[in-house]
Amino acid sequence: MPSIVTAERLSKTFQVKVRDPGLRGALRALFQPRYRDVHAVRDVTFRIDPGEIVAFLGPNGAGKTTTLKMLAGLLYPTSGRVEAAGFNPWTGGPPFKRRIALVLGNRQQLVWDLPPEETFLLNRAIYDVPEGDYRERLAELVALLELADVLQKPVRQLSLGERMKCELVASLLHRPPLLFLDEPTLGLDVTAQEAIRRFLIEYRERHGATVLLTSHYMQDVTALASRVLMINRGRLLYDGALEVLVARIARTKRIELVLGGGDGNRVTPEALASFGEVKSFRFPNAVLEVRREDAPATSARLLAALPVADLSIEDPPIEEVIRLAFARGVEEDE
Amino acid sequence: MIRRYAALIRNAWLVDLQYRASIVLWLLWGVTEPAIALGIWWAIAGDGSVGGYARADFARYFFAVMLINQLTIAWDSWYLDRWIREGDLNYRLARPLDPAHEAVAENIAYKARTASVILVVWLLVAAAWPAVRLPFAPGRWAVTLLAVLLAAAMRFFISFTTGLLAFWTTRATAIMELHAGVSLFLAGRIAPLALLPPAVAGVAGVLWFRSMLAFPVDLLTGAVHGTDAIVRGLAAQLFWLGVWIVAYRIAWSRGIRKYGAVGG
Repeated sequence: MPSIVTAERLSKTFQVKVRDPGLRGALRALFQPRYRDVHAVRDVTFRIDPGEIVAFLGPNGAGKTTTLKMLAGLLYPTSGRVEAAGFNPWTGGPPFKRRIALVLGNRQQLVWDLPPEETFLLNRAIYDVPEGDYRERLAELVALLELADVLQKPVRQLSLGERMKCELVASLLHRPPLLFLDEPTLGLDVTAQEAIRRFLIEYRERHGATVLLTSHYMQDVTALASRVLMINRGRLLYDGALEVLVARIARTKRIELVLGGGDGNRVTPEALASFGEVKSFRFPNAVLEVRREDAPATSARLLAALPVADLSIEDPPIEEVIRLAFARGVEEDE
Repeated sequence: MIRRYAALIRNAWLVDLQYRASIVLWLLWGVTEPAIALGIWWAIAGDGSVGGYARADFARYFFAVMLINQLTIAWDSWYLDRWIREGDLNYRLARPLDPAHEAVAENIAYKARTASVILVVWLLVAAAWPAVRLPFAPGRWAVTLLAVLLAAAMRFFISFTTGLLAFWTTRATAIMELHAGVSLFLAGRIAPLALLPPAVAGVAGVLWFRSMLAFPVDLLTGAVHGTDAIVRGLAAQLFWLGVWIVAYRIAWSRGIRKYGAVGG
């Protein structure tokens, strides 16, 4: 199966004006501007197959959004090659743009003063969507996103969550096979985030779209992405399944215990400490952290030695893993 | 493409309807400047004339300025500057529609709205005040319409191209302000070019300023006559339109590569 997105040795360098603080700095910058190269993306290579949901992971300024924008044809790469939906984004023109959708969490295309339906009608005209298809798709999207009540309200009166849902509708009316979502859940409450995630999963299942997204919310990534691209300081640190990343980075596992036993023979923290590091203890619940490879053996010993009502082995929280990955680098454990 | 334009113009008008007060304000702005200029020249002319312009000539001139300025003015540099600096260009670049088309549609919507109101104002005033009536001359009106279209196209490309400077500088609107200030004199907004010192009027004629406004205004009022003068004026308009189209294409293709796609 041919890839739907190919990035080869992709780089983007911005020239940023630097100036010293204060009036003197401002004057110097006026007469003798100095520039500094900022390497936003360096030598990034990957391929994405049709139907994948791929998440870009990385701290602010890591280069995620810059990469996404180069794939969508907004930014001109300094070097390297991009192919998306069968086109070079820079020469593809309208045929390319009909095959993609771009949703920006902090920029909206909805016309602020009009009901969202007016933007939908505008996009119907811009993308030449036939009348019948338009109605059918709108009905489907409105049902999936539960938007029936808001179509007639001016956009400025909608909640942030409703606006983002309407952004998605506006971006999907032409049914593009390739979706670029930049922080689609930015600033939304938990319910709205959840609704957007459910929608994206459902939409992909129905229409087989490929989704590339960036997000700061790990729940977005764990719920949606089958694959993550980890970017830091412009470099691609990791490309693969999230579970594999966790296994590689997290040297520990957590054993969560529910202890049994009456008041007479209560397990003490000291007794637990001999099995591993006690992360929390509040009878009857306790969490131990042990080395990854020791987890099965330690579990067996715990079951044999203590009155255990329940026991489960978990990976550490994903946020912690990601933090560790960025702090230490991914390759260290190989 | 017609369906797209229809949809864009429809949306622009729908937005306008939400801001009826702002329409009135813009209209006042469009009327005030020529009205003030007319007031001044009215007082100066007295019962005689200045440079061949009597009071009635000034009245016709500034009513024509009022109408044709509204038909040809372009605000695109302000929009472009914001789109580029604040990242609103992002989703526009992802759509299969050149942002210039959206801007043209906005211009048509704006001009149809303001110019139609000013035309009504003119007709009402002309009913009561013979001085501002124009002689019935369909041929002249047709040529004027052509000159107005050329001027509108040129001013659009000037404004759009100046706005594109925001790819390189944060002062694009200042450059446009400067251009607007110069055109106050050189395009004939505060005085007929015939009344300017010959050197200044010469500069206006050599550059694009006369083609922007003064030429179509003089066509409408009859100050320009004779096939020769009309053809030369139209040729100058065509030439400068071509120059600005080339400037636009260069600025767009270079700028877009330099674009930083600000924001998320």
